[in-house]
Amino acid sequence: MTGNGNDTTGERLNLRSRMFELTHLHPWIERLALRHRIPANTQFAMNLCLEEAISNIIRHGYSGDPDHSIVIWFTSPREDYFVFVVEDEAPPFNPVELPELPPLNSLEELAIGGQGVRLLRRFADALEYQATPTGNRLSIGFTVTGSAIAKN
Amino acid sequence: MPISTEELEGGITRVILEGRMDIEGAAAVDMRMNVIAGTKKAVIVDLQKVSFLGSMGLRALVAPARAIKGRGGKIVIFGPNELVEKVLKTSGVDTMIPIHHELQNAIAALQ
Repeated sequence: MTGNGNDTTGERLNLRSRMFELTHLHPWIERLALRHRIPANTQFAMNLCLEEAISNIIRHGYSGDPDHSIVIWFTSPREDYFVFVVEDEAPPFNPVELPELPPLNSLEELAIGGQGVRLLRRFADALEYQATPTGNRLSIGFTVTGSAIAKN
Repeated sequence: MPISTEELEGGITRVILEGRMDIEGAAAVDMRMNVIAGTKKAVIVDLQKVSFLGSMGLRALVAPARAIKGRGGKIVIFGPNELVEKVLKTSGVDTMIPIHHELQNAIAALQ
């Protein structure tokens, strides 16, 4: 998906691997939501999942090195279904098959970051991972009807 | 992200957060939360006006909670919306910081 710089079917956000780049997510999602009439609860899930996915890439994939790129593509392959495809050039990391950590059960545990995969799985409707020749591609899907955010 | 405090009867401090607890919001309240955590022993974190909570925001809640509990204090969460509550429950934070939807119950839990 990356490479030719053209974006004729979806929309793209380019980020550097810096935590404060996460601040670009919310206004971008807001603009998409306006254009595609995405309801507020789905926007919430999109913000949460992208924050988790991108912060994991920055902290773990790139180990905090600030000069790498992350590209996010937005597409709507069918009515009321939205997909973000997150691409990086980090070492292979598949969050889809990662064993899920148990929920936090003690204030002594501060590994909140380890809860990211759990949050991703609970708030997204679809997750798909693909290793690429140069890194990772994670697709995160959201359905407006019957969304995962309505499930317990 | 605005943060304000209100002193209630019985030595209870109500911390009112407002807006998005994402990376930017968490950074904005971190220092104030740490000061509260280092000085108060009975804290209600009022999330009624918090519209978003991500993992960065969770950190901004859990670290002060640990400090307060470490000093023998108590902390509860009051009034999260449905989605914010789902984040708290999915991550298990609700087992460490009890959630209340009635202010009187939140106050009672600290006494």
